[in-house]
Amino acid sequence: MEGDKAQAALTSIPALLARNVAQYGHRLAMREKEFGIWQSWNWTQVAEEIRHLALGFLSLGVKEGQHIAIIGRNRPMHYWSMVAAQMVRAVPVPIYQDSVAEEMAYVLEHCGASYVVCGDQEQVDKVIEVSESTGLHFDVVYTDKRGMRRYDHSHLNALEEVMEQGAAAITGLHEELDRRIASIGYDDICVMLYTSGTTGRPKGVVLSNRNIIETSKRTAEFDHLTHREEILAYLPMAWVGDFIFSVGQAFWTGFCVNCPENGETMMTDLREIGPTYYFAPPRIFETLLTNVQIRMEDAGPLKRWMFKRALAHARKVGPQLLDGKSVGLGDRMAYGVWNFLIYGPLKDAIGFSRVRVGYTAGEAIGPEIFAFYRSLGINLKQLYGQTEASVFIAQQPDGMVRDDTVGVPSPGVEIRIDDVSGEVFYRSDGVFVKYYKNPESTASTKDPEGWVATGDAGFIEQATGHLRIIDRAKDVGKLADGRMFAPKFVENKLKFYPEILEAVVFGKDRDYCTAFLNIDLTAVGNWAERNNIAYASYQELAGHPLVLETLQKHVAEVNESVARDEKLNGCTIQRFLVLHKELDADDGEMTRTRKVRRVVIADKYADLITALYDGSTSVYTETEVTYEDGRKGSIKATLEIRDLEPVAMPSMAAE
Amino acid sequence: MNMMSDDGWVTEDGRTIGGVMLDLKNITLRFGGVVAIKDISFNIRQGEIRAIIGPNGAGKSSMLNVISGFYRPQEGEVWFEGQKRREIQPYEVARKGIARTFQNIALFEGMSVLGNIMTGRLTHMKAGLAAQALWWGKAQKEETKNREFVEHIIDFLEIQSIRKTPVGRLPYGLKKRVELARALAAEPKLLLLDEPMAGMNVEEKEDMCRFILDVNDEFGTTIALIEHDMGVVMDLSDRVVVMDYGKKIGDGTPDEIRNNQEVIDAYLGVAHD
Amino acid sequence: MPESLLYGTEVVLNGLMAGVLYALVALGFVLIYKASGIFNYAQGVLSLFAAMTLVGIMNGQIPFAHLINAALGTEIHHFGWHINALVAILLTMVVMVGVAWCVQRFVFRHLIGQEPIILFMATIGLAYFLEGLGDIMWGSDIKKLDVGLPQGGSLWIEENTQWLGFGNENFYGFFLDRLDLIATVIAALLVIALVAVSQYTKHGRAMRAVADDHQAALSVGISLNFIWVFVWSIAGFVALVAGIIWGAKSGVQFSLSLIALKALPVLMLGGFTSIPGAIIGGLIIGVGEKLFEFTVGPLVGGATENWFAYVLALIFLVFRPQGLMGEKIIERV
Repeated sequence: MEGDKAQAALTSIPALLARNVAQYGHRLAMREKEFGIWQSWNWTQVAEEIRHLALGFLSLGVKEGQHIAIIGRNRPMHYWSMVAAQMVRAVPVPIYQDSVAEEMAYVLEHCGASYVVCGDQEQVDKVIEVSESTGLHFDVVYTDKRGMRRYDHSHLNALEEVMEQGAAAITGLHEELDRRIASIGYDDICVMLYTSGTTGRPKGVVLSNRNIIETSKRTAEFDHLTHREEILAYLPMAWVGDFIFSVGQAFWTGFCVNCPENGETMMTDLREIGPTYYFAPPRIFETLLTNVQIRMEDAGPLKRWMFKRALAHARKVGPQLLDGKSVGLGDRMAYGVWNFLIYGPLKDAIGFSRVRVGYTAGEAIGPEIFAFYRSLGINLKQLYGQTEASVFIAQQPDGMVRDDTVGVPSPGVEIRIDDVSGEVFYRSDGVFVKYYKNPESTASTKDPEGWVATGDAGFIEQATGHLRIIDRAKDVGKLADGRMFAPKFVENKLKFYPEILEAVVFGKDRDYCTAFLNIDLTAVGNWAERNNIAYASYQELAGHPLVLETLQKHVAEVNESVARDEKLNGCTIQRFLVLHKELDADDGEMTRTRKVRRVVIADKYADLITALYDGSTSVYTETEVTYEDGRKGSIKATLEIRDLEPVAMPSMAAE
Repeated sequence: MNMMSDDGWVTEDGRTIGGVMLDLKNITLRFGGVVAIKDISFNIRQGEIRAIIGPNGAGKSSMLNVISGFYRPQEGEVWFEGQKRREIQPYEVARKGIARTFQNIALFEGMSVLGNIMTGRLTHMKAGLAAQALWWGKAQKEETKNREFVEHIIDFLEIQSIRKTPVGRLPYGLKKRVELARALAAEPKLLLLDEPMAGMNVEEKEDMCRFILDVNDEFGTTIALIEHDMGVVMDLSDRVVVMDYGKKIGDGTPDEIRNNQEVIDAYLGVAHD
Repeated sequence: MPESLLYGTEVVLNGLMAGVLYALVALGFVLIYKASGIFNYAQGVLSLFAAMTLVGIMNGQIPFAHLINAALGTEIHHFGWHINALVAILLTMVVMVGVAWCVQRFVFRHLIGQEPIILFMATIGLAYFLEGLGDIMWGSDIKKLDVGLPQGGSLWIEENTQWLGFGNENFYGFFLDRLDLIATVIAALLVIALVAVSQYTKHGRAMRAVADDHQAALSVGISLNFIWVFVWSIAGFVALVAGIIWGAKSGVQFSLSLIALKALPVLMLGGFTSIPGAIIGGLIIGVGEKLFEFTVGPLVGGATENWFAYVLALIFLVFRPQGLMGEKIIERV
């Protein structure tokens, strides 16, 4: 390891880059699949590319303190743009590439970006649209040249050419760049990230070099990450997690970041790379499990039987083995055999055979889903975090993993639970500097002592010191009869079924709970095909009587399990309906990180909720939808409402 | 457009349209007693997007089949690149640089997407049989070069995620895209598209439109297409031929066609489909 | 090693060698079937015809001698020269390509788009026509074919495997026929070459394309005629090799055309469209029938080799109609 002196100087991402060149110069830093082949760059090459880019920015006239927005998918060029922006002491602002022009306009206007790096023509078009509608002026740089030939290039440049300009830079620029790099301070801004926010306008979270580097340092040690890790950078670049994993921790430890070929090839790329360190929101794990289950249902009887037996055994001993607890020799051997026959090939097929540390966060993961991966011997853990905390608030240490907690406070993080509201507060050196141009929000979120409110309700288990999150503080409520209501608890159980993609449970201040369900088109479509059920549209499939029948069975099963919970047994679903459209971020029903926006949904589908509570057996509705290109249309449907038998009291439930 | 001349012109969006590439002179095609095409003449210019429209049964597909050599007209001449074409087989037409897609999608269902697109390169493969079988020097280089070219097409049409998927398993919209990819792989001078957007939803249509425009723009490929969707045709094409009952009733820029009374009467005004 | 195991091993080795030959013949079928959907009943006769032509050329026989003599009253039979085997094989190959071209030009070109059963009938006609043509050209007598392939048991193998008996006095080492060994090597090489050609070459790719969709194949510049002539030529080449091997073994005579019947169960087992299926199917049947004859044969009075392959194939048909490796038959509704 480097000495204390060198360590002390590592106070910016560019400084870490220089250290990596010295220490890991010939080790791979990045890969990207293009034209079907993995292209790669070692740290020396990466440093060279970034320097050229930074020089290019200088020659474009980027000034200190200006904001450079980056809109595009995970590509080396875009990561380099962020670091190059830091080098010239500008502030990189990654923006969700699937934002519609309206959202993009807000962010671009709010941060006052002077320069925008766009991934492709689509993003350039959006930025031009924003420019026309707001009257703001941007200098745009684009990565993918395709379709760009006929654009007016007076304020438009290809990134490649900017780099070439940089490479050919006159000496003066080099000196200017070196001066700027040298002047970066530990508490200067590293990056600015906009939180998608389940309510209200996005807020620009300002994170300093200290925030990012201290957090990366501590958490890398926590999981013993080394320069030998491989990760797949596939989550939105605008999300804080991607910045911490693909920039913060990658530059701190010097590991290799792999960029997929495009948004749809993630699964193939995952398998080809076989990452050792992997993060995914619960949704991805759900999708993967759904795919596995579908494949198994299509397999022959022998394979299906073996798969079932293997999984049963994995559930029995897998988690214990992973936690290093003692397991009988026979079971251990059987696990070894199944590992050879089933678990190994299965892990390989989903790209998890080398995962040493895996995390999930963002939403609670269904216990069954979590257990599935753990039982296969994949070290999947949960963490709890926020953009404002530079991700990490709490995380699970190896060997102390449970499905119902989010682990112990991350190293260097203090956690406090508010006595009255039960809301979780934290404090650490990862805590954000401020919300950009929003002192009120900053003040209401972060108190003068540095404590930050999470907005989540939770408690710390006395015995273990683990943090348990119940739900969003504002979502947790009571039913009319005073019993506790926590929608997410039920929704997570529902979403375990492969047929159910999304669930929204209502019941706050009501007599009983009801639910909206979204079918999973992949799983249900596959089922329909196997059962020769013809359907012309998503809507028709979602309303098919046999589909409703199946879902009703699932809801009944969930009710039974909910009824057994001492605290939350009031949350059984008594009536439900299947929505005629998929909940979509474009329609504002979900956040870009795919969390349901309850308020929006409750408002938009008020007629459906009324029907759920007034006893009607079906309801007619019209819904406005937004197409990908921003145009709007409407869907009409008559939805059937299903009733469920109330679950018998546990004492009577025995059949 | 008064700037149009025989040698070509520059379009409003800055593309160069050149001289006549394909010239059809007085084509008549009969099936037994039925006249599918009646004495039609029109041309296709270098670099343009040329649409053939008309109600069902107007003879559009037959026209495309004449150009691609699948049908042989009883009367008339086909001139390609300044030479009168003798009666030739469809595969010879393909080798001369005219690629096409089909209305009802004709893909090699048993092959992967990549395999399908690679067949588009067949006319560009020159190495000897033995060398190919043994994966020898020149053959290997050639295969690598062709694969590289195909990968660019895959990237261009954004179908990386289905590269290894057997085409039989793909949904309709993607199959159409793969068919386009295969035609492009042949590096055609003239690309014939038979209803490239039939049966697609709005988003798929938009994607396909973008691909067609980009193909024309990036590769400079001349494109002739048949399409039902009038909006699409008017947006996409530089010049339009209108057919009705085997006859040509209009030929000109989209604006001219919109204002052509005969066309309005025969096609636009009447609710055909 | 116990005696029965030693003999069993010898049986398996012999079975494998026979299997490679079956595979080769079966491949001839598969290639044509894949590329044109034609089940070529004439494949066996093609072998006979090729072998007869080869013998004729080597011996300098005058083709159609009987016909000429009968018509003109002459007495010519031979040119009076002998041609080197290798040159004769090349010449025969040229003749087979000619046959392929004629078959395509005069028969199948007129049958494009016809029902498979019609195409099949056409190959039956072709079989009888070729058989007759062969007789008229070269005479119907049984001919001896000697292209210089070694005959008799391999002493070298016998001597070098004797130690496996570990002092067992009744074991003299494995007895393997040298012709069989050479045949196996040639067949194996040919199988590899065929697989390479059909998988890795432009022509192979075009063959698969033609098999899949004629229109699409035309649209990418593939000449259907050329591919079919090419495929029939390959089938002719395979037939020639099979004819040489079998002819060298048991003389060139009508029964040679029956080797095709051996390929039928191989195809049923392996699948009509699968190249690896034909190879594995061939090996399974080769080994299976020899082992069956060795173990069960004595109990039922022998001669099981005549029917074993068919029964095995029949059982397969019941459980896996598409064969071991064939494409799954799914009728989408």
